[in-house]
Amino acid sequence: MAFEFEYHVMWETVPLLMNGMGLTLYITIIGLLAGFMLGVAMGLFKVSKYSWLRAVSSVYVEIIRGTPLIVQVMFLYFGVPMAMGTRISPITAGIIAIAVNSGAYIAEIVRGAVQSIDVGQTEAGRSIGLTRMQTMIYVIWPQAFRRMIPPLGNQFIISLKDTSLLVVIGVGELTRQGQEIISTTFRAFEIWLTVALLYLLMTFTLARLLRMLEKKLMKKGVV
Amino acid sequence: MVRPMIEIKNLRKNFGELEVIKGVSLTVNQGEVVVLIGASGSGKSTLLRCITRLEDIHSGEIIVDGHNVHSPDADINYIRTEAGMVFQNFNLFPHLSVLENVTLGPIKVRNIPRSEAEHLGFRLLEKVGLGDRAYHYPAQLSGGQKQRVSIARALSLSPKVILFDEPTSALDPELVGEVLAVMRRLAEEGMTMVVVTHEMGFARDVADRVIFLEKGVICEEGASKEFFQNPRHPRLREFLGRLLNDHAFSA
Ligand SMILES: Nc1ncnc2c1ncn2[C@@H]1O[C@H](COP(=O)(O)OP(=O)(O)O)[C@@H](O)[C@H]1O
Ligand SMILES: [Mg+2]
Repeated sequence: MAFEFEYHVMWETVPLLMNGMGLTLYITIIGLLAGFMLGVAMGLFKVSKYSWLRAVSSVYVEIIRGTPLIVQVMFLYFGVPMAMGTRISPITAGIIAIAVNSGAYIAEIVRGAVQSIDVGQTEAGRSIGLTRMQTMIYVIWPQAFRRMIPPLGNQFIISLKDTSLLVVIGVGELTRQGQEIISTTFRAFEIWLTVALLYLLMTFTLARLLRMLEKKLMKKGVV
Repeated sequence: MVRPMIEIKNLRKNFGELEVIKGVSLTVNQGEVVVLIGASGSGKSTLLRCITRLEDIHSGEIIVDGHNVHSPDADINYIRTEAGMVFQNFNLFPHLSVLENVTLGPIKVRNIPRSEAEHLGFRLLEKVGLGDRAYHYPAQLSGGQKQRVSIARALSLSPKVILFDEPTSALDPELVGEVLAVMRRLAEEGMTMVVVTHEMGFARDVADRVIFLEKGVICEEGASKEFFQNPRHPRLREFLGRLLNDHAFSA
């Protein structure tokens, strides 16, 4: 029996995938918001004058970057609740996993951007009497933030795609929903293609949004 | 009455094994303009940077307007508003407009209202001849204009003394004059200044005192007229001779 591409299946499937896509976006957005805050804190710890803060940050980053996301997810969902005697929902575990995972990469992005700002900027800030904190807030951060946008955009896209790994703990996001539909319709080609196109739509939109933000922040004269 | 603004007592500073300042003592009085000269690597920048604690010191003492700069309980942020710094590479804040560069200190350090700070900012920019550049960004300015903004920024905290580290060395020759003119005017108004420079004309005309630093020690020091008329130390003669030669060639 020859394969026949039934593109109408794609159209029919899109509405059925909307819940999954919504959940993918929800986990991505909440996870990245938390991951960004965590990453900024850990990234700033890395450039702190206190060595114990730098150590905390290093250990965190090394552990997360040195282990597969799927193991982190399993550990969070199956391992941690067992040790603590509580249960968390798959969605909560998914959000935490995305946050903790992206936070480590974002910490490195933040550290790199902050360290890329010329030391003369800090000296100039301190020389007009600003405190370390004020110098960071008003002088270093605004310049560093602009440099962070392209690598942050990359990380956001990676994290969005990473949410598909949450199928392993049964989160009903886009990939999981696609899988479920295939198990009753058997149209693997059309449906995986649809799923792929929906991911592409999301990552493409995200990239465009970040590009716009970058342009908006590019004031005259700032390189 | 003579009032000491900066007192440096037997200052020593090293970077690891390398001793860069080897026992320098120096007093700068209120209203005085002191020019610091010396070969590259002789420790001029380090000396200036120690005065506002951009560098730690090994031993000795630095007192700025009565405050012991390197004592652990010194309020360094306050001391830095008393002793402003002008850098060779300007170090303007590129993400802020010229006006914002000049008002950041008054607003965040002095907590004065924005409108008042902008009023002050415009006055200072007028003073350095850049009132019409308030809303430009540093990247849109020439080197000479940038350095004048950075002088206005240093003035924005009403410091009692300003330290200049080769303020014209990064400039194209034709832009040096406009910066020196601003500094000359400050000196006339009675600002206390310590200036590292290779501009011997400025040193001769504006400085009250010139100090020749050689390998981390003060090798010769004197009132500017005598200093240039009859340099005693052979190293100083050699240094001045080389400078004159360089100028003859570059002119
Ligand atoms: N941060 C630093 N670390 C190590 N060595 C330094 C540092 N800053 C300056 N030096 C060294 O200290 C000496 C004096 O430098 P500097 O004060 O910049 O001299 P100058 O301003 O007179 O040219 C030089 O030998 C320089 O290489
Ligand atoms: Mg120097």
